[in-house]
Amino acid sequence: MSDQSRILVVDDEPQLTRVLRTGLKSHGYDVRAAADGLAGFEAFTDWHPDLVITDLAMPNVDGLELTRRLRAISQVPIIVLSAKGEEKTKVEALDLGADDFVTKPFGIDELLARVRASLRRAKAPATNETTQTILEAGDFHVDLETREVTVRGKPVHLTPKEFDLLVYFIRHSGKVLTHRTLLAALWGGNYVEQNEYLRVFVGNLRRKLEPEVATPRYILTEPWIGYRFDPGV
Amino acid sequence: MLFVPSCGTMFHMQRSMLDQKWAGYFVAALSVGATTLVLKVLGGHVNAATVSLALLLNVLFIATRWGSWPALLASILAMLCFNFFFLPPFKTFNIAATDNWIALVAFLVTAVTAGQLSARAKKRAEEAELGKREIERLYAELRDAFERASHAEALRQSEKLKSALLDAVTHDLRTPLTSIKASITTLLDEVRANEAPVTLDAESKVEMMEVIDEESDRLSRFINGLIELARIEAGELQLRRRWGAVEEIISTALDRAKPITRQHHVELDIEKELPGVRVDERAVSEVVYTLIDNAAKYSAKGSTIRIIARHAGDELIRMSVEDEGRGIPTQFRDRVFDKFFRATRDGDVSTQEPSGTGMGLAIAKGIIEAHDGKIWIESGAAGKGTRVVFTLPIGDEEIVEDVRYSAAAVEKQ
Repeated sequence: MSDQSRILVVDDEPQLTRVLRTGLKSHGYDVRAAADGLAGFEAFTDWHPDLVITDLAMPNVDGLELTRRLRAISQVPIIVLSAKGEEKTKVEALDLGADDFVTKPFGIDELLARVRASLRRAKAPATNETTQTILEAGDFHVDLETREVTVRGKPVHLTPKEFDLLVYFIRHSGKVLTHRTLLAALWGGNYVEQNEYLRVFVGNLRRKLEPEVATPRYILTEPWIGYRFDPGV
Repeated sequence: MLFVPSCGTMFHMQRSMLDQKWAGYFVAALSVGATTLVLKVLGGHVNAATVSLALLLNVLFIATRWGSWPALLASILAMLCFNFFFLPPFKTFNIAATDNWIALVAFLVTAVTAGQLSARAKKRAEEAELGKREIERLYAELRDAFERASHAEALRQSEKLKSALLDAVTHDLRTPLTSIKASITTLLDEVRANEAPVTLDAESKVEMMEVIDEESDRLSRFINGLIELARIEAGELQLRRRWGAVEEIISTALDRAKPITRQHHVELDIEKELPGVRVDERAVSEVVYTLIDNAAKYSAKGSTIRIIARHAGDELIRMSVEDEGRGIPTQFRDRVFDKFFRATRDGDVSTQEPSGTGMGLAIAKGIIEAHDGKIWIESGAAGKGTRVVFTLPIGDEEIVEDVRYSAAAVEKQ
């Protein structure tokens, strides 16, 4: 694994970019910093980093707008730094295509874990969704043709909608998926406000997949935002 | 004019008008009778013209007081009395001479017309009065409603302001905390050095510790600012006014600001023979320091900061601190004195410079206003840069005790 992954940090707070630059560098990453969205976008087109970490509230071009602009030209993983009270903006950023978020104040380990997960996902061999028939991820084995699912070696029977939801989760493992994103992907754009649909199907999936329904380890809840799928090791 | 009295008042008004009307007829009959009696007693001393004028007067009186219908009754009664008692042959309703017929008809027409006209005038006046009162009532009602509405709006605004202030405060507390937490966990990582290869050289370690040090200071400054602002807002700012020299106040501030003004030229322009001022020197020096600090922060290295102190009339001292920076757009010149407002963040004035706490100018304003002075922003010389100006009253020698105590402060003692 290349330790020289390039990370672009975009934040208007010079002290924080100073810390993140040093902290990330000490873990072997190549780091550049920009003070606002505009400079961040320029640095991105100039330098082509492997990952972008961006603050949300910034002068000129803010984190939301930066996410929008980056998504228009690239699939680079984006982690947003948000604060309590910025939930709405955070969800908006995730809906726009940000991959993950870290809430301020955060320990460097938490950020590093998110960075590693996002880079791993981005570097995974691009799976061709149309021709691939077998999905293998952690504890999951899914045959897309026969629609058979086994978890930890045991076969599980799923309804068609539950099956689709699981496949979507596996294909976006580790990424924070907002309610809106999931509803739009599985039920279409008219259902994006129907959170209760999602709750019912996620509940059913958990009952069938999770060893402990009360403390899920595969389908994790991100309060007020959505879900994150962890396929297990 | 739309006039819709309530059922109760309508009923009440009708009743009182009815009473008045019956009283009107009664008075009409009585007064005509009385006039006739008086004229009869005077006997031969009155001629027909006098009688008719006296009775006419009677009709007018009834008309203006009780309105048209009692006036009409008065007119007819007066005509009958005129005919019966004063037109020959007396004590009959017969009339002998033709000219007396004419006199009688003329009397009747005049009485009725005059009565109706004056009654109508009276009615108009009454209506106008009613209309006026109604307008006043509506106006008062409208004003009350408006006051209630604006009170509710003010409450809503103040709630909104409170939540905006809370956002600003939490942001200002969280930002340094984030840098501190990220630094300290980076350092801890290195000490614990579990699985990940961590290479933190001595220089990086020092940098992390510097960040922690600086950001702790920033938190501390912010909290001190909050306390000072809260004191000013609660009216607990205790001014210790003494006679002092303007030069001394400025030089104290300049000494303190030395580390931050090293890369600027500082020009001092203090008018000779300025009188002493009766102020809290420490507080005013704090204001001057804040202004110098801002000037240094928001203008380029190597540029000039100009401090001027002058007489402004007999009673005021005017001081200003001016920089050659980018200046503050006119629309933000009042708002920069609002607590937590920052032109660099809230005003879209983009900057790479470190931003302050958003409290310095709010505190400065509090201090200057507690001295009964004023503070405002102007453009610097030649329209460039920022000039912050404040005035202070020179002070009155007769005021001996001028320390402000709030109720809370007094209780504490």
